[in-house]
Amino acid sequence: MRRTVVVLAVLALLAAGCGKSGHQAGGDVVVAIDVPVTGSPYVAQTIKQGVELSTAGINSGGGLIVGSRSYHLVVKVYDNHLSARTAVEDTRNALDAGAVAIITDGTGVDATWQIANRDHVAIGIVYDGGSGLVDPETRPNVFRIAPTNHGIAFRYAEYLIPKHLKVGLLHDDSAYGQEGAADLDKAFSENPSSVALKVTLPAGSSDLSAQILRARRSGATALLVWAQPPTIAAVLTAARSLAWNVPIYTPPTGADPYIRQRLADHPDWVDGLTFAGGRLTAEVGTGPFESFQSQYESTYGADYVGVRTAGGKQVVQPPEFAMYAYDFARVLVAALTRAGSFDHEKVLATMNQVTTQGANGDERGFNQHSHEGVVDDDVYFARFHDMIYAPVKNDPLSSTLPSIPQTR
Amino acid sequence: MNRRARLLLAAATSALALPAVASSAGRPQQVVLPGPVPYPTPLPPLVGRTALPQLFISPRVHVSSTERVMVGVGPDARPAQIRVRQRLLVRGKGDYQLAIGGPIDDALPAPGSQSTPGLRTDQLLWAGFSPGRKVLAADVFLRPRAAAPYLPVRLRLQREGDRTVLTVKNATAFAQPIYTGTARLPELARLLDETRRASLAGVRLTGAFANFYGAVLTLNHRPTIAAPLRVRGQLTLPGQTPVTFDRILGDGRPLSFHVEARGAGKPHVRLEASPAPVVRLLRPPGGAPTWAQAVKRHPLSVADMVMKLMTTRLALVRADQFETYLADPDADGRTRAVYGYETVALEQHPTATASPDGGSGSDALLVVFAALGAVVLAGGGLIAWAHS
Repeated sequence: MRRTVVVLAVLALLAAGCGKSGHQAGGDVVVAIDVPVTGSPYVAQTIKQGVELSTAGINSGGGLIVGSRSYHLVVKVYDNHLSARTAVEDTRNALDAGAVAIITDGTGVDATWQIANRDHVAIGIVYDGGSGLVDPETRPNVFRIAPTNHGIAFRYAEYLIPKHLKVGLLHDDSAYGQEGAADLDKAFSENPSSVALKVTLPAGSSDLSAQILRARRSGATALLVWAQPPTIAAVLTAARSLAWNVPIYTPPTGADPYIRQRLADHPDWVDGLTFAGGRLTAEVGTGPFESFQSQYESTYGADYVGVRTAGGKQVVQPPEFAMYAYDFARVLVAALTRAGSFDHEKVLATMNQVTTQGANGDERGFNQHSHEGVVDDDVYFARFHDMIYAPVKNDPLSSTLPSIPQTR
Repeated sequence: MNRRARLLLAAATSALALPAVASSAGRPQQVVLPGPVPYPTPLPPLVGRTALPQLFISPRVHVSSTERVMVGVGPDARPAQIRVRQRLLVRGKGDYQLAIGGPIDDALPAPGSQSTPGLRTDQLLWAGFSPGRKVLAADVFLRPRAAAPYLPVRLRLQREGDRTVLTVKNATAFAQPIYTGTARLPELARLLDETRRASLAGVRLTGAFANFYGAVLTLNHRPTIAAPLRVRGQLTLPGQTPVTFDRILGDGRPLSFHVEARGAGKPHVRLEASPAPVVRLLRPPGGAPTWAQAVKRHPLSVADMVMKLMTTRLALVRADQFETYLADPDADGRTRAVYGYETVALEQHPTATASPDGGSGSDALLVVFAALGAVVLAGGGLIAWAHS
């Protein structure tokens, strides 16, 4: 009898040791997402799925380990409707729910960061590159993993000015367009002779013929359009309708599926459209990103653009912004684990000290002087052909990057 | 082969060669000579309290480092503030993710930097893409108590009446066991000539072996080895003509010297020190142009030549060690360091001297060191402050 008891005890110990985690269950930990579910559903969905993919992986791998306990991460989604006022409400609700961090597209951060900062709760921006949103000195709780407007504008200046183009700087009157215009002004201020004209476009207008004609008459030999996707589509339509084959450059919104859907009947109008974005691959190659994309698609399905190539293949959108959301969640988890507690102040300080490997193989992390997870150097340029894009070959960084498969 | 690999090879070869010597007298045994590594002490380069993140340097990318270490000294000439302006020159196209450890309080971008440094606890970070050439420059503020023990020069200032004495001491000295044995003169001469050429060219030693015949012994006496340092500067008392000095500490010369000034008021010290080549100790005897010629002309002692080979190479290794006060993340990168010392008012916090835009223009300490550097260079100094 005694021998049986001993054997059972040993087996019980062995069973405990063979589990996924030797840590005691600690309960749920809330990660809040505040995104424009009803204002910009594609952005909202890709961010939500990126965070969920990350937290699901952590939960299935034994959970979030903080101290001696293992916690289950729970994602709570709020819809900010692209409204700063709603974002403020969402932030308060998220804090009431005990969120350890709030991951957002960036809507309303100018108002929400102070509310979150009172509780030393981190805000992670994973879409909006607006300058001024992130400042480690004045906004110690705001972090970002997404290309910055500042970086994109300066990279464009670095890329276009040596080509001796006369650039028409166009932006729409949305907040996004105006913020981008301010960064472009700064970036091109050292070389005013490179700028042919500056024009503000009415956001939402489908007919921009007059403005594009004016740009053409100014002698512009390139257009840099900082605008929402509908405005970019309207610029392309106006220019190509006028048989003006001027090269058109855009910020990351140029890659938005909307533009290709809108111009599906004129795929040649999309050809040559160049946009700036954060690199999807690191020097190690396409492997890490493709692995992430595969994991993403096997969980949520591919993000179909809704257009086909000339060869009839369906075009899919690589999950770039999902990657940023995924990476932010991983950095947050690394900070919580290293802090070894849920003391918000300690976690916030630890956010500056940890690095994780991002979904694209790059190191992701922040530091005391920079809360930007995508450095300006990581901005690359890609050009469309046949509804899919590939890195350009006439830029030092872009020329080193491989193409990501975009057809199924 | 990088520095770490060479170190491992050297260590492994030593381990293999020396026991073999004892068991096979009469046959030549290859004995690893000092250099380029290991360094005789773990620091410098400085290290911090935190583990560095994983570094990445594209295989096509190489990083060289030039450093100006600016030491603000108090009234007794002890270090009170230490700031390093490190300028990394990234050559080649590709990604880099660099981390440099040390007792780092803060880091700001220095003039000319094409990127902004990141800061973590005891870590300076750089990440980005080099399109072919990129300058990464930072002013790094160090905790003096932790960093000062690894400075190459120690100063002491004493007042006796109207007499002020500044003592300048080479702080790189260490005692090292030396191997000796029987080797052939032509080979020793060739190795001394190679060592001398590297020293005069200001390049890092490459790994080398010597063939020894019979037993290889360790000397009971551990000779003192020190990096040769060139020290130039001045001691000034208010209203008096500055007392200037320009000395080599080491390379067969004394490791310290005194400078005396007379007058009232607070003394002001300003000096610059930098690792120097071994010149005097490697000069062939009898006016011969090379050691190979010297051994043909004069009967030279094998024991003396072995000792000279070992000690001069160790001195060069030590000098190379002090070319890197803050680490160069590229172990194979070329490194240069110049150390400036100047009397400062102690009330001033080091970071207070940095201008908001990264320290350009308004930094009095920096300006003074720059001016001193310019004077020294104009005077035909050997150090090329390699800002290409």
